[in-house]
Parts: sequence; structure tokens; C-alpha cells
Amino acid sequence: MEDIKKLLAKVAPGKQLAEGTQYPTIELEPNEVRAVAKKLKEAGFDYLINLTGVDYTDALGTVYHISSSTNKTEVVVLKTKTADREKPVLYTVSDLWQSANLYEREVYDFFGIRFIDHPDMRRIFLRGDWKGFPFRKDYSEVNDTPTTNVNIDDLETLPSITLDKDGRIVEKSTQLFGNNEYVVNFGPQHPATHGVLHLRVSLDGEIVKKVDPNFGYIHRGIEKMCESLTYPQILPYTERLDYLSGSINRHAFCMCVEKAAGIEVPQRAQYIRCIFDELTRIASHLLGWGCMAMDMGAITAFIYGMRDREKIMDIFEENAGGRLMPAYSIIGGLTKDVVPNFQQTIRDFVAYMRESIKEYHTLFTGNPIATGRMHNVGWLTKETAISLGTTGPTGRASGWSNDVRKIAPYAAYDKVQFNEVLRNTDTCKGDSFDRYIIRLDEVLESLNIIEQLNDNLPSDGFSVKVPAIVKLPEGEYYQRAESARGDFGVYIKSDGNKNPYRVKFRSPCMTLISALDPLCKDEKIADLITIGASLDYVIPCADR
Amino acid sequence: MSLELIDGINKIHELLSTNIEAAWVVSLIEYVLVGLGFLTLYALIALFLIIFERKICAYFQCRKGPNRVGPWGIFQVFADMVKILIKEIIPLKHNDKLLYYAAPFIVIMGSLLTFGGLQFADGVHGVDFNVGVFYLLAVSSISIIGVMLAGWSSNNKYSLIGAMRSGAQVISFELSACLSMMAVVILGGSMNLSELMAAQNDVWFIFQSPFTVVALVIYLIAAHAETNRGPFDLPEAESELTAGYHVEYSGITFGFFYVGEYCNLFINAAIGTLVFLGGWQALHIPGCEGFNQVMDAIPSYIWMFGKTLVLIFLSLWVRWTFPRLRIDQLLKLEWKIMLPFSLANILLMAIWVVVTNN
Amino acid sequence: MIKYFKDIFSGILNLLKGMKVTGKVLISPAVTECYPENRDEVKPKERFRAELTMPHNENNEHKCTACGICAMNCTHQTITVNKSKITDENGKPKIVLDQYLYDIGSCIFCGLCTRVCPQGAIEFTNEFEHAVYTRSKLIKQLNKPGSKKVEVAKPAAPAQAQQDKPAAPKQENENNQ
Repeated sequence: MEDIKKLLAKVAPGKQLAEGTQYPTIELEPNEVRAVAKKLKEAGFDYLINLTGVDYTDALGTVYHISSSTNKTEVVVLKTKTADREKPVLYTVSDLWQSANLYEREVYDFFGIRFIDHPDMRRIFLRGDWKGFPFRKDYSEVNDTPTTNVNIDDLETLPSITLDKDGRIVEKSTQLFGNNEYVVNFGPQHPATHGVLHLRVSLDGEIVKKVDPNFGYIHRGIEKMCESLTYPQILPYTERLDYLSGSINRHAFCMCVEKAAGIEVPQRAQYIRCIFDELTRIASHLLGWGCMAMDMGAITAFIYGMRDREKIMDIFEENAGGRLMPAYSIIGGLTKDVVPNFQQTIRDFVAYMRESIKEYHTLFTGNPIATGRMHNVGWLTKETAISLGTTGPTGRASGWSNDVRKIAPYAAYDKVQFNEVLRNTDTCKGDSFDRYIIRLDEVLESLNIIEQLNDNLPSDGFSVKVPAIVKLPEGEYYQRAESARGDFGVYIKSDGNKNPYRVKFRSPCMTLISALDPLCKDEKIADLITIGASLDYVIPCADR
Repeated sequence: MSLELIDGINKIHELLSTNIEAAWVVSLIEYVLVGLGFLTLYALIALFLIIFERKICAYFQCRKGPNRVGPWGIFQVFADMVKILIKEIIPLKHNDKLLYYAAPFIVIMGSLLTFGGLQFADGVHGVDFNVGVFYLLAVSSISIIGVMLAGWSSNNKYSLIGAMRSGAQVISFELSACLSMMAVVILGGSMNLSELMAAQNDVWFIFQSPFTVVALVIYLIAAHAETNRGPFDLPEAESELTAGYHVEYSGITFGFFYVGEYCNLFINAAIGTLVFLGGWQALHIPGCEGFNQVMDAIPSYIWMFGKTLVLIFLSLWVRWTFPRLRIDQLLKLEWKIMLPFSLANILLMAIWVVVTNN
Repeated sequence: MIKYFKDIFSGILNLLKGMKVTGKVLISPAVTECYPENRDEVKPKERFRAELTMPHNENNEHKCTACGICAMNCTHQTITVNKSKITDENGKPKIVLDQYLYDIGSCIFCGLCTRVCPQGAIEFTNEFEHAVYTRSKLIKQLNKPGSKKVEVAKPAAPAQAQQDKPAAPKQENENNQ
């Protein structure tokens, strides 16, 4: 902590750290951000966790959560704002951290802040003809539902702004694809895009030259909806972000609110939450494994994955009452205690799952066709992974240790012994096979965690009483959790009301999708599918 | 049954020739009748294979498969047939109409022509060429023209990629399929299927030489690849190209491709059975007369279809277990592994024949 | 050269191992549940949230005070509470429930309504067969015709205590079907 303060004093001389914040925070003028960010990057802060746009009513601003791949536990927050609401501009950091590319597009789409020197200032989620910027507090434009089937979006012209010598803003535009490129649409309705993702792929025969992901087909404005909901009401929506790690998202949101409101959650509830998180992770990895096999043409493997996932769904149904959306965690604990035979069920399941994993390895991992398709395809180096912010199994396959369960242990994760599954820590680059095998290894590790938690389940109650209306004290809160796809984050800015002022979910999937273009370059069409499957993204998580 | 069938055919021939003077009219009527017979057989085999595959694949996937229409869902396939017949054929703009509508017929034609050269039981066959094996190989490759035309004329990027893949794939694997059959032709000393059958009367080719086993394995892989199924379904690749070359087809035009695919599955298995596994010949062990007589009691068409079904089952097993190959792996498999093996196999087979005949 | 043959044979061996796995499944029984046929054996788990109901006791009485907290908390306007003011025999003004409408078509089964209900008047049951032919049939009236609120001196449990309550009493539930 002291080191960080010294570092911040060095990179941003003359700036005071904000008082009473969760992470060391400095507020900067818009024109200072780039210089400070650059110095931070050089000092080793190479992982931009999150970039949030905020409307402060009198000003529009952004919040940067920055962490480091070497000094993993440290998080630094930079803040900036501009008072200009007509034509707000800020400076881009997308050349420092590649993940900022999509984040800044999102901020532009929702708040209308344009970023100088950002190469691609298209709207990201909303249609090109959308009027106004919906996340502004004074947003009042009425957008009718489109009734015609006319393609309004110009998907290929990339507008951008830059500064000329006199410091004036100059508008530019570049073309995404050349005139003679063979551009194929993959999606939004395509069997292998795992949802409604639209990829525009430039091909040279079978070789992929460029991939341009196009988001927003399942954008529901959940973050905007959250601003008019109470905290308990938000909970069901967190599960619907990344529906495959719903429990984990919900857990993260509960933790964020509990931390902010100072609610102590009983140990038993924390243990059970962790067991459910790990079960969710297993279920998600099983589906990920199956979908990867299916994308490669082995439909039978997919069915086997689903068959075993069903057992987890049954555990969810028995204890929580829901299957895909268990709705088990609530603010202050759990909805109900686990059923009496819970521990035995879990023991049986762990034993069963260990056998199944062996079967998967014989069926698919050993298969020379499968390994031939996954080896040496889609290399992701550690540096690119960090810069793109591809957390979770994808990052760990490239040797980047980024497990939030280890970095910032939450709930009961500091009470169990487990290894962070890492691959290629010496070569620092991972291919599709690494991203594939790491999921099965993580399932085994999750089984270990579940076993330990299950055997030591405390008995101090499953829930505490919380006030009927939860109000958070004014301030900003951030909670990280390790979802099945990586670093899931919840950012809540509260103004003391029963509704949050701004909620932002750090989606691990958006950064995963942004990795498609660098990974698929000069690979084949079939590899595009394999790489997409090995990244294991979920579109509703990216679109929110 | 085959004897009764031949009797029946002879009776029809007598009936026709006693009532009609002109010989060519008799022949014409007979050809039409035989053609109709093959068409019916073709449709029935396709229908059977569709339900067979659906059931088998379901059991591989710990499912039950179709089980609502009729007992064990056997009428599901008839319901599907009716459905596909009455579905709308969606017309496309900006495509080559003639080629677009001709393509499914070429696919069907290719596999239907092959039926004429097959032997279904003792004496039951359309034509008995002196170059029967050659004919089978030649006409079974016609359907690739239909696939290429379908991909080209649909004016769709997916189908074009699928058709190109299909072209590369079939042309490559045709080589191995032919060369592995050549090994058997060397052993049997003839291209005439009847003569090959006669040569297998005592012992099937598969048991006559170790090199026929290698040839059979190569043939099965190559034939499987030619049907665009299983791990070789790159032209269709539903997770990459959605449906590949037939993505723009609907209704019965799609149905033609579908039926053609299943009949090709049957044809490849049938050719494999005829050439390697003794066709309709019963399993004989030389010197074991009692056993041979028991085996002979089983009708020849049961032998034929039973062996074919075993090969089809093997093909389904492979299809529902393995992931799809990538185009470079596919070509590597053919040109770097299977082609050298089959060439070496022919050489060794020739030496074997020379050595054993002396 | 040796590697070339070794790769081929190890490849074939591994392929055969994979086929063994699927072959084993081929002869083991299917896991499919034949749904309409096994209706009697396969029941959802007791806690499964499938449909919101308002339990009535044998005197056709429910616990709802028509306070509307459930409707307020519902994020999808799934619940509509129609109430009216009457004067009871003591001359006091009193709010009674007219209609408790539940639109299952827009319900996301989050369970918020049952958790916030101060009376424990509504609960989720296992009745999961919701298919109907028209959308209007998805809107269900939960209070039975002619039913009234059960007369209790004081609500038995405060809001939060509801959470601590064990799973809904099954017995009562079945009586009311």
C-alpha cells in the first residue's frame, strides 16, 4: 500500500489521494490522464481491469481500474471528468491497453464521450441511428422501435477524431475492409458463435485475414435498468448477464452490497456460496468443453457434457429451487439452508465427476484429430493476454496468473487449499489446446475445493437479517470475483439512495471476444471456430 | 427369395415377349420396370438408413432417438418424408437457375446409376459389366459435380466455400478408394463383379491375403470421406459453414441431397462388401462342410445386406465419435498417409499374387 | 520415418479408445426421460419454483392483506393487486383483496415476491406444466372466488423471518389443489 502511494506520488506529482476509498484513487484533469496512465503502465500496471463511464450530472467522466500482472493484488483507480456535455472529448488509452478499445467504444455509445486518437469510434451496442446517449442522467430522447428492415448501420466506416497541430479536433474516417476483400458474415445467427454475435470475417480462400466483432444483438441495458431498481431487485439480473456463471455473478453483487452496507455474512452461507460457485464453474466448463467438441464436429461429446451437467442442475434445483438461474444468494446470505442430504449428494457427485473427466480425456483429449486441430492454433502470448484483459482460463492458459480467488480471496476461498491451474508459465504463450485442457484441469481443481468446503461446512446459520430496504452509504464500491470466464467485476456508485447511481459490470466476455481478431489472423475458417470455442465467451455477458 | 425373384422376372419376360411382337418394345418395358424397381429400392434404403442412423446415433449419445411416431419411432421417417415433400421450395434471386435446380438431380443420378452395377443377391443385379468395378467407381463420382454446381449456383459465400472443400476432398480420396480396390482386382484377376464373386466362393478376399485387410481399411476411410460424412463433413460443416453447399436449398431439393447422402453411404458399404467381404457369398471355411452347409442355408440377400449393414454401422460409429478434420489435416491424411500406403499395398499385393500363384 | 509410423499407429490406437467410450455408451441405457409417460415417477424437487400460488386453508381463507409489497418489488409487473376499501362491522375502514392477478408469462421466477411478503401469503409450487393456447390464460387469479383473509390477531412473522422459514408446508399445499 505504501509502495503504491509512493508510486502514485511519482507518476502524478502534486495529486492528492482521495479519502476513504477502497483502492488508492487519484482524480486527474482530462489532459493529464494519458501521461499518468503511460507512467503507470511503465511502472508495471499493465492490466486495465475496467473502464467505467459515469455521469456526474455536472460533468461526464471515466473511471479506470488498473492492476498489474506482477503485483497482482494492487489496484489503482484513476478518475477524470469533463464539464463539456455538448461535445465531450477525452484522451484514449487504447494504445496502452488494448482492452480499452472496446471499453472506450462502450463509453462513447452510452455517454457520448469521444476519445481522441481512438481508432474506431463506432457505436458498439446501439444502432447507428440511435438518438441520444442513454446512460446520461438527462437522457430524454424517444427512440421508436424500428419498423423497417433497412440496414442503417454503416459497419465499415470507422470514424475517429484526432488533434491537429493547433490543438483543434479533426474528424477522420477509415475503412475497415478494402474493396476487394471477400467478407463473410458469421452470425448473428450462426451455430458456432455461442449466441447472437456477429462476426464480419475477411477471407482469403480458407484463410482468415481479419475479424470484426459486432456487438449488441442481445443488449438489454441491464446497467441502465439497475439505476432504477433497488439492490435486491438487481440480483435476478446479475444472473442473466453470463447465464453460465449466474451464481458467481450474483455472489459478486451480493458481496459488493454487503461490503458497502457492512453486513456480516455467516460462515456457513459463505461456504455454501463457494460450493455453488464452484459447481457453477464446473457446469460452465462442462458446457464449454462440450460446445468446443461440438464446434469441432463431435456432437456426441457435447451430449456427454450436458449429461453430466444435468447432475449439477439437479443439485441446484434441489437446494435453490432454480436450475440455470438458481437465485440462491441474497443480500445477507442465502434464501434457504441446504437440504439435509446435501453433503452426501456432493460427495457422490465429486466421485462421479472425477470418473467422467477420465472418460472425456479418452474420448476427446486423446483423439488425434482433436489434438491436431487444437495444437499450434491461435497462439495468445502472455503480453497480449494481459493487454487485452483476457482473464480467466484463457489468460491462465498463456501463463498469466490472474485467478481472483487467489489474488483477492473472497468468501471462503482463503480457507481452502487449492492450486491456481496455470499452463505455459515458461513459454508464456498458449494455443487452443492449452485453453481447452485448462478447463478440464480446473474442473478437477474445483472438485478439490468443493470437497474441502463440503467436509468442513460450519453450522452458524445461512443468513442474517438485513433491513427491508437496503441503502448503501455514498461512495464507490468495487468487487471482483472469479467467474467461469474470468475476472468479473461489480462497480457500484451510490448516492445514498435505495437505488444505485451507477452500476457497471466488468464483463470478462467482452475482452475475450476482442481477442478473436489477433488470434485468428492467418488461421483457417475451421480454426476461427475452434479459437472462438476455446475462448468460451457468452454473448449476453458481453452485451449486457 | 432371389431365386423366386429371378423366376418372376423370367415369367414377366415370357409374358411380354409372347404378347408383343417388337423385341425393342419388350426391352423398353423391361428397362422401365427395372428402373422403377431400383427407384423404389433406392427410396426404401434411404428411408431405412435415415431412421437407422437416427436411432444408432441416439444410442451413442445416451438418448432414445425418435420414439413418438409408431413403435420405436419407425414411422418418423415417413412423416419426415411427407413433410419435406410438401415444404416450400424457396426461390432465390440472383442465382443461376438452371444449374441451381439441376444440381440435386445430378447428385441423385450419380448414386442411382451406381445401383445398376451392384449385386444385391445371387443373380440379382442390373447389369453385369466386364469392367464392373471400374463402372462403380466412375459413376459414384458423378455426384461431386452436383455438389460443385450446387455450391456455385447458389450465389452464397458459405456454399461456395463448402463446394470448393468438397471438390478437393472427393478428388483426393477417390484416388485411395480406386487404388485400394485395384489391390483386390489384382488378387481376383478381374474387374467383373460376377467373376470376383465367384473367386470369393470359398474364401472371402479379406481372408485371402493380409494386404486386402489394409486395402479394406483404406477403402473404408476413403469411401467414408467421399460421402461427406463423419469426421470428413467439411463441405457441410454445420458449425463452420452452417450447411455448406446445400445451405440455400429447401424442401425436396434439399431432400435430394439428403437422400443422396444416405444412398451413397449404402453404396459405399455395398461396394466394400462386394469387393472385400464376399458380397452375397456365405461365410465358408474350407474343409468344414457342415458349417458351410449351415451358412449356405442363409439366403444370399441376407448375407449381402447384413454385411453392408455392419459396414454402415462402423461408419456411423466413426461419425458419431470423432470431431471434424481441418482441410489441411484432411489433405495430409490423404496425400501423406493413405496414398503412399495404398500404392505400397498394390505393389505388395502384386508380389503376393505372383508368389502364391507359383 | 519411425516417427511417421509411430504417429499413425498411436493415432489409430487413440481413435479406437475413443470409439470404445462411445461403444460403451451404446450398450448402456439411455438417460432420456420420456416426459409425458413418466409424469408419475419424475417430480421436480420440492423447492423448485414453477408457479406462484396463494395457499388457501379449508375455510377458503388466505393470508393476503393486499398490501401490494409483492407487486411493488416485482421488476416485471407480473403481479397486480386489485383491492378495495370497505367498512367492516365495527365501522372501521378496511382494505380487502379483490383480485390477485399473476401473469406467469412475464414471471422470471426470481422469488423476490415470496421473500418480501410479510404474511407469507404466497409461495411457489412445483406445478410446472404451464402450456396454454392463448396468452390471456397465462394471467391467473390466485385468490379463489369468495375467499377472504384468514382472521389472525397479528401477522405471525415479520418480513425477514420468512427467509428462515423452512420450505413451504407441502401438506397444506396439496389440500388446496
